[in-house]
Amino acid sequence: MSRHLRALMADRTVRSFAVLVLIIIVLGISDGGHGRVLTVNTTYDVLQQFATIGPVALALGLSMMVGEFDLSVGGILSLAGCVAVLTGSGSPVAGLLLAVCVGGLAGLAQGSIMTWLNLSSIGVTLGGLLTFGGLSYFLTRNTTIGYDRLDVALGVNAPLLGIFSVRSLTTIFLFLVAAFVVSWTRFGRDLLAVGSDRRAATIVGIRVNRILIAVFMISGSLTAIGGGLLSYGLAAASPTALADTLVPGAAAAILGGVSLAGGKGRPIGIAGGVLVLSMLSSGLTAIGMPPFAHWIVTAAVLFAVAILDSEELNRRVYSIRCALGKRSDLPPSGGSPILTEPQGDQ
Amino acid sequence: MQALPENARVEGAAAAAPSDSPLSVDPIFSVRDLSKSFGPVTALKQLNVDFYPGEIRAVCGENGAGKSTLVKILAGVDRPDAGTIWFDGQARTFSSALEAQRRGIAMVAQELSVCPDLSVLDNIWLGSTDVPFLHRRKELRRRAAEALSLLGAEHIALNTPVSQLAIGERQLVEIARMLTRNARVFILDEPTATLSDSEIDRIFTALTRIRQEGHCVIYITHRLAEVFRICDTVTVLRNGEMVGTSKTADIDRRKLIEMMLGRPFVEMYPQHGYTAGDPVLQIDALCVPDAVSVFSAVVPRGDIVCIAGQVGSGAESVIRAVAGLVYNATGSVRVNGKPMRLGSAEEAFKNNISFVSGDRAAEGIFSTLSVTDNLVATRLKALSRFGTLSPGSLRLEALRLAAQAGVDQRRLRARADNLSGGNQQKLAFGRCLGRAQAGVLVLIEPTRGIDIGARAEIYQLMRELCAEGYGLLVASTDLEEVMGIGDVVITMYRSRQVGSYRGKAINMQDIVADITHPLH
Amino acid sequence: MRGYGSVSAAAVASRLGSIRVGKASVIQSVATLAVVIFAVSTPGFLSETSIRSLLTTVSFVGCVAVGMTFITLSGNIMSFSIGASMSATTIVFMVSVGLGLIPALVLAFLFCAALNGVQGWLVGVFRANPIIISMAAYSMIIGSAIYITGGSGVYPLTDRADILTRNLGPIPGPLAAFLLVALIGQLILSFTRFGRNIYLVGANPHAAKAAGIEPWRTVMWAYVAAGLFTAVSAVLVAARYRSGDMEHGIGYEYHAISAVLVGGTAIQGGEGSVLRTLVGTFFIALMQGLLILRGFGIEMQYLLIGLMVLGAIMLQWKGRT
Repeated sequence: MSRHLRALMADRTVRSFAVLVLIIIVLGISDGGHGRVLTVNTTYDVLQQFATIGPVALALGLSMMVGEFDLSVGGILSLAGCVAVLTGSGSPVAGLLLAVCVGGLAGLAQGSIMTWLNLSSIGVTLGGLLTFGGLSYFLTRNTTIGYDRLDVALGVNAPLLGIFSVRSLTTIFLFLVAAFVVSWTRFGRDLLAVGSDRRAATIVGIRVNRILIAVFMISGSLTAIGGGLLSYGLAAASPTALADTLVPGAAAAILGGVSLAGGKGRPIGIAGGVLVLSMLSSGLTAIGMPPFAHWIVTAAVLFAVAILDSEELNRRVYSIRCALGKRSDLPPSGGSPILTEPQGDQ
Repeated sequence: MQALPENARVEGAAAAAPSDSPLSVDPIFSVRDLSKSFGPVTALKQLNVDFYPGEIRAVCGENGAGKSTLVKILAGVDRPDAGTIWFDGQARTFSSALEAQRRGIAMVAQELSVCPDLSVLDNIWLGSTDVPFLHRRKELRRRAAEALSLLGAEHIALNTPVSQLAIGERQLVEIARMLTRNARVFILDEPTATLSDSEIDRIFTALTRIRQEGHCVIYITHRLAEVFRICDTVTVLRNGEMVGTSKTADIDRRKLIEMMLGRPFVEMYPQHGYTAGDPVLQIDALCVPDAVSVFSAVVPRGDIVCIAGQVGSGAESVIRAVAGLVYNATGSVRVNGKPMRLGSAEEAFKNNISFVSGDRAAEGIFSTLSVTDNLVATRLKALSRFGTLSPGSLRLEALRLAAQAGVDQRRLRARADNLSGGNQQKLAFGRCLGRAQAGVLVLIEPTRGIDIGARAEIYQLMRELCAEGYGLLVASTDLEEVMGIGDVVITMYRSRQVGSYRGKAINMQDIVADITHPLH
Repeated sequence: MRGYGSVSAAAVASRLGSIRVGKASVIQSVATLAVVIFAVSTPGFLSETSIRSLLTTVSFVGCVAVGMTFITLSGNIMSFSIGASMSATTIVFMVSVGLGLIPALVLAFLFCAALNGVQGWLVGVFRANPIIISMAAYSMIIGSAIYITGGSGVYPLTDRADILTRNLGPIPGPLAAFLLVALIGQLILSFTRFGRNIYLVGANPHAAKAAGIEPWRTVMWAYVAAGLFTAVSAVLVAARYRSGDMEHGIGYEYHAISAVLVGGTAIQGGEGSVLRTLVGTFFIALMQGLLILRGFGIEMQYLLIGLMVLGAIMLQWKGRT
């Protein structure tokens, strides 16, 4: 492989889109020429899933890029959905804005507690998850609240240009803004710096605490937008409906090149990861695979990513190759050793 | 006695620093009665010192003397508990590193402070107040490239992620960062530990230029040779207090060490003891792809064999391969005649090879665990019966090992990261002891970042181990150390073994020649 | 901080530091003890059915929490699949209970140990990301379960397992089992080489390697231990509800990690204990119990528990660096 191609493949962002293309090809082949995969319907489906998981994956991904982990996204998603539905009867936009404010405040509260008390984010956001989830139980009195604006419910999901919808276009827009901020602004660079090496960032004068709080506010707001629109689209808010978004969100982010250690990954890569998962899900449905297959394929993809990204992969591959006797016994080429006689004695 | 800056606002009568200024200009930094404590630990005690523009000032002292604390306060990273600082004639305390930067202070900290996932360009401009919100500008690229070429590092592409750079190159990136600040005071805290000689030359050239432009350079170093080579004056701290400032021309090495230690200089290196005992470790044709090509050596019982080489010469890789930490090492290693499988740390451990890492925090100690836990970490199998352990037997073992290694026995329950660097290193040594049979110790940079007093103790410990029958294989870039403790010195250059010297044949000239530009 | 000042100053600092870390545990232990005394001294407290039911549920979560403690201590943060593996084990148990109680127990334990052990092996041998591996395992378990059971539960018509629901005198059986599991777990951590290795690997796996300990074995066995403790919970749950179903374990990983973190074990590993998790479990349980006694509905319970978990975690602040 030429050096440029190798560098390209090593780029984590490109990798997720490479996987996407691979999956499309594999699905197309398994389709057996029935033409069910690359259709308008499937694409619309994929983009609708993109709109559901995308904001969560982006929020989670940003928190991971800065070196933390926002466990509370599930809770904020529920809470934002409830707030939007409960207050959005008169003006859906106002309801959505309120939901975004709630999400932002949630992030502000968690970020402040984290930085002020110097705590790890997993503990604080776990508390946040339980609290915000609990709040949504409280607000809905443990029932499903219907949303009476059916025009809005249909409107956010109505197909635009065949494959898009208000929800998916909003999500795409959010990703584009995030991509611009991360790659082209000082704030984005500092975000990655904090994730890459927090101590170094502190020493050079970056205001680490401000960045952390800002990231969590953004994460909360993004999740809230996603949750609000999703609830509008479902015409209902339920405290349990949106519980299982953490795994797909994290999987998508990591597929997209984000690392738990921080400092790596880009929003466009995360978008690629979300598309991969959405494509898998929709594509498998399109060619008629039963639901359990989605889970199995997701599991396989995650296992593959985890192992390929692992630290000791090279070492284990080497051991296997040695065991199979493939290793050459000659010392690596390096010319003859330059060895002079030991000089002198006691 | 030095008069206070004329246009300074004097708050109360303050004793002046007992300094010997070579220049009759106003100081750019003046510090009076500076004190700083971290909890119950006092780092600086009523310090008084002046720094002048147009000079390169060395700051020397043992670990814990307060050098890093002092410069961190000057650079705005920390705030003092008491005392006054005058900068440029005005009493001023910086509220943040950013403010200090705006006023013209640039610092390269002791610990490498680059973000590995960011590019060289981003790292150079990280934290700078000159960077606008939309930060991709041609002008910034140009200035970054300029700074790199000043240091002879034009070959480093600006878009390379720093994680792909060698450690010496990362240090150069940090120094380039310092150069891009429009600063008047440049502070460097131990900048040369990871650099090759040619890189160090370049830095000194850059610093000399800075001095000629009339700025102030504050240079913290353990390497006394550098003090005399490039610095005009030297300030010595001890236990958080000012000992004195002197022109480098006016003192010699011995006097400098005395000022640092506070006691007459005692020979740091114990007697050599080249015994030519039977070989306890035999290495034949050791190879590590891209790091070591065909290394062979014999370590006799009771001897210290040093591998001398610059950063990247392969000396470290040899040690790590023998310790079983390199999975793709090939070749033959025999311990007491018995061949050993490479690539497994467990194997090496079973064969009585103990490894002392050069990077204490990453690999050497368990920072969050207690001293006891650290000491007995390698003894668990030996002390356990049917898989169970009794805390009492662990404590007894820890006491025994602490005594042998020179660790304070009253500190057994303290957390390991509360210990000084020297004590932590003794912990790392203590962990290697206590086996039934004396074996092999393989070490990388055994005294990195450790002050002179503790160093002497560690060298003494190494000799004691030799007397007990251990064989030691040491990789070190500190040539003085290599000559001081090595019974046999092997030189390496760019993955190749160059020469081997024994006993009286060991001399600095040949060694330096081998590791920097061998004849072949 | 290193090296500054005299020896005794640093020793004092470390002692102060350890007091601060233990402060939360002290407060919680005192609070828990106070409430326990108050509760037990109230006549008829232990026969109050809702409290008994609470203690039973707590025991189910508690066993899993002990397992999660092992995973967290070994430096692997948490497992997102432990609830699903618990559910799957209930199915395995109920399916094989026809072969007899003992064989079913053996199968259940082996199954859960293997399910988690494989994850531990992958995490250890490759140093793969434990969160991703556990999420992958979660997907795998859910998918396999849907395929094998078609989404429904297993309801065997046998009362062989009922013995597991009996009580030990006034103490509910599951509670006794939980306490036993906690005791075994803490004994392993304090008094065995395996336990000490978990702390070493969790504190610094590179240093462990340099000291001649191969981390992957310790990590793998830590996950196996977690699987065994989880299996205890699984068989108790299956016996209690007389069914094996994937619904049983939903949310267990969050309850378990809450108990671990509230108890004071450090999320990055190397610091903590099963004892702390025990305190954490009971703290949350008692808060829940208080809410039940005061008649709060389930919505308020979730919210207040969430706030209390957050509060307990906030209590563990270590001060500014």
